[in-house]
Amino acid sequence: MRFDGVWFRYARRADWTLREVDATAAPGATVVVLGRNGAGKSTLLQLAAGVLRPGRGVISDRPPTIGWVPERFPAGQPFTAGEYLRRMARIRGVTDPHAVDRWTERLLLTEHTGTRLADLSKGTAQKVGLAQALLLPPGLLVLDEPWEGLDAVARTLIPEIVAEVTAAGGTVLVSDHRGEITALPGAIHWTVSEHGVHASPPPAPDLPTSEPSVSELPESDPPDEVIVEVAVRRSEATQAVAELRAAGHRVLRIEDADVRRTPSPTETTPDREARPTQRESR
Amino acid sequence: MMALVAMRVAGFVRGGRALAPLIAVLVELGVIYGGGPSPAAVAYGYSAAALFPVLAWLTKLLLDTEPDVQRRLARLSVGPAREAVAGVLAATLLSLVVCVAAMAAPWLFHGIDTSTDLGTGIALGVLAHLLAVPPAVAVGALASRAVTGSVRMGLTVLVVAAVLVVVLGLSGSFAPWLVPPVMATARELNDPGVPPAGTLALLTAWAAAWCAVAFLGYGWLRRGRS
Repeated sequence: MRFDGVWFRYARRADWTLREVDATAAPGATVVVLGRNGAGKSTLLQLAAGVLRPGRGVISDRPPTIGWVPERFPAGQPFTAGEYLRRMARIRGVTDPHAVDRWTERLLLTEHTGTRLADLSKGTAQKVGLAQALLLPPGLLVLDEPWEGLDAVARTLIPEIVAEVTAAGGTVLVSDHRGEITALPGAIHWTVSEHGVHASPPPAPDLPTSEPSVSELPESDPPDEVIVEVAVRRSEATQAVAELRAAGHRVLRIEDADVRRTPSPTETTPDREARPTQRESR
Repeated sequence: MMALVAMRVAGFVRGGRALAPLIAVLVELGVIYGGGPSPAAVAYGYSAAALFPVLAWLTKLLLDTEPDVQRRLARLSVGPAREAVAGVLAATLLSLVVCVAAMAAPWLFHGIDTSTDLGTGIALGVLAHLLAVPPAVAVGALASRAVTGSVRMGLTVLVVAAVLVVVLGLSGSFAPWLVPPVMATARELNDPGVPPAGTLALLTAWAAAWCAVAFLGYGWLRRGRS
């Protein structure tokens, strides 16, 4: 997807919210959109999703299936969560009859399917917003502050889902002002300001790619970190990795190819060990 | 697209906003039929004209019930053209239900004079309502929040259009073609005898042409607004 000289303003005589945006997001890329409050992050995401139309310039090569998770889920509708998702599945032409149930279970919404949207907590409503965006596998997933209001367990699901969408060749755009981006290693950063959008490559890995030991920790590491080796069940490994990252820890190494679903430049994956072992430092 | 139509109708009916226009319809029916039975064509002609502003209001309420963000999600899901058409279809469906109810209601309290030619009267009444529904939906759509952006502007469009339909629709108006032929139809049906087929065809063509322009305008205005 490409932004070519995109300008946007909300009304004809208003100031430009975005000026001269030139940026490209390749298939399989994760883009974290950063910027101060009111810089136009949400506007940029809505332009990317096709919800807003640029005043000048063009946005091209947008994938056909787009999932958009709005910043605030529109909860003022007289439907239960389950009925809303079933109706959205029909509107979006979802042919997989299990799509709604699958995402309901995965996003831990099962006990809320009978709750009216207006009665949902902010975080649960946000999960309904996430579910509707994922009913069809998106070629472009646009997440506007997806962590907002989510509990610790649900927060770990976002990096997992992002990794799945990009692994399938999709592009993910996500805005973040809470510093959760540590959970998305390898993401390109777009910084939105009044001068346009500045793209920067993923931060350079700050750890060696070979297996580090406690004594070989790089000097750049903060001095108050310790290495904790953790063994987790194979079936729970992906979630454990995501949870550890969401909690702000750095996962240094994962010793099993099967669990490496959220790859990062700081990980190595020798296959010789049968038991998954993680190293975590904090 | 029909799933979106169903969702919008359900959202509107369950949300409780339908109550106010429903009360307005009941008041109108009371005024029209309260004075004793009248011939079907005359009564239905006035009924269609009286329903016009209510149906426009109903359309605006229906289109404004859905939160803006949900409308954008629908637009992403089915595309901008289908999203706009789905709203118009949902409003048309509900308006037709209101028309059927408004035409059936007088039979409950003997509001229709059964001594005249009933078949022709009812057929003319159906035509009058069918000529009122699409322009009313068009006015309501043009007054909806997705087009006007603000409550004040939306209400202004709705009220001005409803007043103009009456004022410019009066006989001797200097520009009757600026508004849909709602009043003209009521006048034709009020005259004794069946209006000639040519007149009815002209009224139908007039309404169709007006609606074509209004809906094209709606589509054009919605193009840049999500």
